[in-house]
Amino acid sequence: MSPAALVEFSRIGFLNMLAFRLRYYTGVFTYFINVTVYYFIWKAVYTADPAYAGLSFPQMVTYVAVGWIIRSLYFNNIDTQMAADILEGKISMVMLKPVSVQSSYIARALGESAFRLVMLTAPNALVIGLVFPVQPPASAAHFGAFLISLAGSVLLVGALNFIVGSCAVSLKSILGLLRAKFWMQELLSGLLVPVTLFPSPAREISAWLPFEHIGFTPMMIYLGRLSWPEIGRAFLLEWAWIAFLLAFGAWFWRLLSRRITIHGG
Amino acid sequence: MRGVVEVEELVKEFRTFERREGLFGAIRDLFSRQYRNRRAVDRISFRIGRGEMVGYIGPNGAGKSTTIKMLTGILVPTSGRILANGFVPWRERTRYTQTIGVVFGQRTQLWWDIAVVESFQLLKKIYEVSESDYRARMKHFDEILELGRYLHTPVRKLSLGERMRCDVAAALLHNPPLVFLDEPTIGLDIVAKEHIREFLREVNRNYGTTMLLTTHDLSDIEELCARLMILDHGRLLFDGGLADLKNRFWREAAVRLYLKDREQGQRLSQLNLHGIGCEKLEELVWRLHFAREEWTAAEVIRRVVNAVEVRDIAIEEQSIEEVVKRIYLGEVLEESRR
Repeated sequence: MSPAALVEFSRIGFLNMLAFRLRYYTGVFTYFINVTVYYFIWKAVYTADPAYAGLSFPQMVTYVAVGWIIRSLYFNNIDTQMAADILEGKISMVMLKPVSVQSSYIARALGESAFRLVMLTAPNALVIGLVFPVQPPASAAHFGAFLISLAGSVLLVGALNFIVGSCAVSLKSILGLLRAKFWMQELLSGLLVPVTLFPSPAREISAWLPFEHIGFTPMMIYLGRLSWPEIGRAFLLEWAWIAFLLAFGAWFWRLLSRRITIHGG
Repeated sequence: MRGVVEVEELVKEFRTFERREGLFGAIRDLFSRQYRNRRAVDRISFRIGRGEMVGYIGPNGAGKSTTIKMLTGILVPTSGRILANGFVPWRERTRYTQTIGVVFGQRTQLWWDIAVVESFQLLKKIYEVSESDYRARMKHFDEILELGRYLHTPVRKLSLGERMRCDVAAALLHNPPLVFLDEPTIGLDIVAKEHIREFLREVNRNYGTTMLLTTHDLSDIEELCARLMILDHGRLLFDGGLADLKNRFWREAAVRLYLKDREQGQRLSQLNLHGIGCEKLEELVWRLHFAREEWTAAEVIRRVVNAVEVRDIAIEEQSIEEVVKRIYLGEVLEESRR
């Protein structure tokens, strides 16, 4: 696919979201509530133990605030959309285009993120930054690294969601899988609790999964908790996951698409 | 000559899950499932040459859409061979779809929530249509299909007729040499239908575009297609021209007689007609029906007018609908088996 077509696909994703912009005005409010709830939970925890989890309370507040702000960027719904397209047969319209199915959905995810950046992430950052004592990034260099890692998060979520959405070809009811993946991502990305707080076996398992690169890694970079060699290693892992999940997704779709059945009209 | 589309022994089977009845059955289904293979397309072979317009008809569930989905690379055949534009559709899908245009009347390929023109812009990029070609074609589409008025409206706000015009235009934006249309006139009023038919005819004439279209409206076929394929229960029952179809399956002809007075009816019923069926429709209107193999209308009329005074005569033309209906109902098939 030509880059121009890719950009065009993203633009359509953006426009599609724009049609439902009203939904997003309430989105800012939801994110604000979430940060507030976690702020008070952590406040209670830190009253009991001021050095909990090796982070100070202001650092934890920053972690929670930045965590939710970036979630508003990397999150997308293409798994749900794709599952619906497959179950309703609309996938045939995607397959009629001379474009790989994977790139068209991931381009849509990028368009969705661009939309979210304007409609959700920017206002969220403003509101949350004004209300809560959020610390600035560790340094300008760390902020740059954070942005690169965040770009990776967007792709990582896109690649993962494509695989999950593909499963709708053989599962007639995909809702359970979508929910399971949703909560796994919320939990293992470190959004709800920093992954360093997981008990030992869970921590080890999580290190072998891609999820913590979605949220935890960029946030640790933001807070300056990783040394530069560690940041280098984290980048390598994150982008290796992206490459692997994209390749796996393409192979997985090739395999599954042969079993597609679309009945009726 | 090599065909644009070559299909050989094409088969598509779907495995369907058979639910058992009742609560106990539902529980048993959890542990052992019963599957049944349903053959949607059964050993179909045909060949379509460049520039042909072919109608593909059959009753609901005959396997038309399934065939189209295999021809467009969406579904993978269970067995058999398809070569279209020199590609195996499902195997080389992305390169193949660049060379075809597809309209599914029941779905839209335009993006539902955004203005029509945005969808066209996207298609232009995907199919790498040059700016000048794009302009020229859009102008042409506007002339025949009158798209201009609703180009800036979101698709969901268009009427069915408007949407279908946009969909047909979208499928032809990259001027593909091969076009598949699955019920392109479904649910449209006569004017919208006429617009679309005229457009398809013109594209076919100007560019030699090969078209395969399915429809339930036989006037689509009569107006557009020189060739017709009839499908039922996944099998190809007929492949040939419209005239050929009538000749082969129009077994019984009829003549309608408008008699001068009641007395003539009396006479007519007493006439020895040698295998010509005779029925009274109204007091003075009688219908004579006969096998076309044995009689011609002229012979029947000559026989009757010698004995009976007739005010007027009408030869009943059997409509293509009638022929096709009989094929769907299986009557003709019975006859050809005999």
